[in-house]
Amino acid sequence: MILLATLGRRLLVAVPILLVVSVLLFVALRVLPVDPAAMSMPPNATRDEIEGARRQMGLDRPLPEQYAIWLGHAVHGDFGRSIHLRRDVLPLIGQTLPGTIELAVCAMVVASVLGLAGGLLLFSLRGRAAEAVAETGTTLLMSIPEFLWALLFIFVFGVLLQAMPFTGRLDPGLERPVVTGFLLLDALLVGRVDVFRSAAVHLLLPAVALGLAFAPPIMRVLRSSLLDVYHEDYIRQARLRGVSETRILLRHALKNAILPTLTLMGVQFGFLFGGSLLVEVIYSYPGMGNLMVDAVRNADLPIIQLVGLTYCVVVLLINSLVDGLYLVLNPRLRKR
Amino acid sequence: MSLLEARDLSVSVSLDGQAVPVLRRLNLALEPGKVLGLVGESGAGKSMIGRTVAQLLPPGFSVTSGSLMFDGRDLVRMAPARRRGLLGRDIAFIPQEPLTALNPVLTIGAQMDEHFVHLGMTGRQERHARAVTALEAVHLPEAGDLLRRYPHQLSGGMCQRVLIAMAFASHPRLVVADEPTTALDVTIQAHIMELMAELQRRDGTAVLFITHDLRLAARICDDICVLYAGAVVEQGPARKVFGLPSHPYTRCLQLANPSMRGARRALYALPEQMPGLRALTGIAGCRFAPRCPVAADECRSLDPPLAGDGHKAACLRSELTASIDVGDARRPPAPHRGQKPLLEVAGLSKRFTSGSLFRRSATLAVRDVSFRIGAGEFVAVVGESGSGKSTLGRLLMGLESPSAGRIMLAGQDVTIGTEAARQHRIRMAQMVFQDPQSALNPRRRVGAIVTQALEAGGQRVSRDARERRAGELLAEMGLSPEMATRTPSQLSGGQRQRVNIARALCTVPKLLVADEIVSGLDVSVQAQMLTLLQRLRQELDFAMLFISHDLSVVRHLCDRVLVMYRGEIVEQGATEAVFAAPQHDYTRTLLAAVPAEL
Repeated sequence: MILLATLGRRLLVAVPILLVVSVLLFVALRVLPVDPAAMSMPPNATRDEIEGARRQMGLDRPLPEQYAIWLGHAVHGDFGRSIHLRRDVLPLIGQTLPGTIELAVCAMVVASVLGLAGGLLLFSLRGRAAEAVAETGTTLLMSIPEFLWALLFIFVFGVLLQAMPFTGRLDPGLERPVVTGFLLLDALLVGRVDVFRSAAVHLLLPAVALGLAFAPPIMRVLRSSLLDVYHEDYIRQARLRGVSETRILLRHALKNAILPTLTLMGVQFGFLFGGSLLVEVIYSYPGMGNLMVDAVRNADLPIIQLVGLTYCVVVLLINSLVDGLYLVLNPRLRKR
Repeated sequence: MSLLEARDLSVSVSLDGQAVPVLRRLNLALEPGKVLGLVGESGAGKSMIGRTVAQLLPPGFSVTSGSLMFDGRDLVRMAPARRRGLLGRDIAFIPQEPLTALNPVLTIGAQMDEHFVHLGMTGRQERHARAVTALEAVHLPEAGDLLRRYPHQLSGGMCQRVLIAMAFASHPRLVVADEPTTALDVTIQAHIMELMAELQRRDGTAVLFITHDLRLAARICDDICVLYAGAVVEQGPARKVFGLPSHPYTRCLQLANPSMRGARRALYALPEQMPGLRALTGIAGCRFAPRCPVAADECRSLDPPLAGDGHKAACLRSELTASIDVGDARRPPAPHRGQKPLLEVAGLSKRFTSGSLFRRSATLAVRDVSFRIGAGEFVAVVGESGSGKSTLGRLLMGLESPSAGRIMLAGQDVTIGTEAARQHRIRMAQMVFQDPQSALNPRRRVGAIVTQALEAGGQRVSRDARERRAGELLAEMGLSPEMATRTPSQLSGGQRQRVNIARALCTVPKLLVADEIVSGLDVSVQAQMLTLLQRLRQELDFAMLFISHDLSVVRHLCDRVLVMYRGEIVEQGATEAVFAAPQHDYTRTLLAAVPAEL
């Protein structure tokens, strides 16, 4: 009940936030020194023809009026047409977003598993000689960005060992089933094991590259919050009751130490979503990142606008989700 | 045979590669079914003994010699798995801070269930039934509902009952209770002690009771061990040890405690503090000698053995102990100057609201409070936690704004919210906070801290003037001028509290609001503080609102007392009159909860 109330409140707050972001995006894109009208015309177009296109696009009107028109269309689900691709923008997002979500979620799973396991390992090494080695190791891991992992993996697994594919989402010969847009899910829904395997293999390198870059901070935070928690009275009291060390770590300490870690993971997921852009480009992965890069290259304002908004929506959703999880895991927040 | 017996037990800590003793050749014995009290100032090694029982010593600490026998088996040399089998089953622990000793993310039921699994119960139903029985045994109502709750939904007293229920659930043979009531209100403290005594009698449990509260120890212990600097200085039956102490240290501690009955007497302020671990290694002879009022030359060269039959003391001159005394202290005459009162509070209320926009709930933390404080008068506010004492203090200082009512300070209304009223309040009233550790900025030097008030209101005070004022203040507090260049972390607890008070006195206010400024201090340091406050009162002539839960301190220090209960002042009057003939039921409960005289 309280969970639903919190989520509801979160979504209510999301509306004004989205409006503010849309205004910021709108203004920022209009002050850029690019002329979408000129770029949409053939190179031999006359000044009058360009001017006509400007009028047709509504670019000659004052900025607030332009925004009002855009907003009026947007609330009816019309986010305009791509200048370059000459298609409606919303379906473009619909086609690319699921791929990016799939990549980001898989990367987050990789980051979480590695981060939590690494954090527990680091913690269990405390006070031993190996601790210094492990610390140096995480610092090294922390300083390697996702695109470096991506390139490294292509070189080792793709080129050197030729064990893994490193472009696209599927083997060329396979036909892509479309039910929800999420490839892994769709393959299972239509019962195509071969498609699922191929999609999974294609996802592996980008997801691990992205996840590896985000795992080290999770390790660090989990380790230090475990160290903090071990100073708490309830840990000592559990020991005094004869509770075993394994049980103390996994049942008593981890349940408390996971809370700050969860906050970090929520923040990270937002960054990770943005970070997928580079990885998508490197692996020619048809997601929102690639769409965005193309749109920026072509000054395709409607696409940039909607991708920006989508990014904002995703971050807000993740925040609400983390808040909800926090409520589930931390009874102190569930006031009676 | 004794249930628990320490034989020449020594514990050391390694500091910079050097082994520094923490417990020295300790010998003590606890018989089955008896209560042994360990008393002494903080740092005496009381808690270390409890930790040695569980072999959960802090990093760097280790047992260097001797043994600690439990039921004929040495806990020190026992295999860890075997010792863990004893913990929670035959040996149980009751902690100091009940609110933090339960895991906040697990329900009470989950934690009790885990304990019963450890005790070897397999059936889920059986464990649940046992948990309910255990909670009922500690007089917690609605046990079934309680099992579904989380620790933060319970009060401190309830948490402690849950912990006691868990401790006694296995009918242990030994219970180690480390300051089990220090964090609780006086009235709850009395209930908890009764409960422990009840369960202890039921199971014939032996209790190792660690406390700094001599009065409490005198009430519940069969035998007493007085520890100083890691060694036993006096031990014997409680009646004898407190009735006629043989060691000067015990006597001094006794005299440092303000009395609850009879004539008000001066406090014996033991000088300085117990030396730190490192300093102790350098002391030859009796380690108490530097602070001892009857020490002679021989005490500084000879380490006295624990001597005597039944009632033992480690002192060469124990025949002089009884001669240590302090005179009666007359309370300075309460100021009747016939002028207007310094502080006049009328109809003061504070309402706190919480909850969402639609489901707001309000609590009246302070309701319709009226009282006066005359110039130079010390007035106490007593009551249990949540009674609104601290909120009242914060309202006076303008740290909270009142929902209703008026505060007149030296004839001027300070609740009107103008800048002039604010300046007036700052000039007239200052506050001393409870915990000097967190009240003093750790990055500033003492000299800057105590003259902080000179920075207020954009006034320009020269560096020389500030240094001069800092020197004066430190001298008044009985601190050496070199302290000015130190940071708070380089001071002892008592010194820090002096700095804390000095800061409030910098601009010579007429009213001091002091929130629990002597709780949490050792009784010797507390005696130093109380003596200091009385001297400063004579010299600086300020009034004080003294918020406290310790009635004996209030009796010693304050002219008048306000008793607060659920936000209201239920009784007020001259301290002696209120303590001798309390009118309100709540006051009677408070007074009855204080353990009788030593």
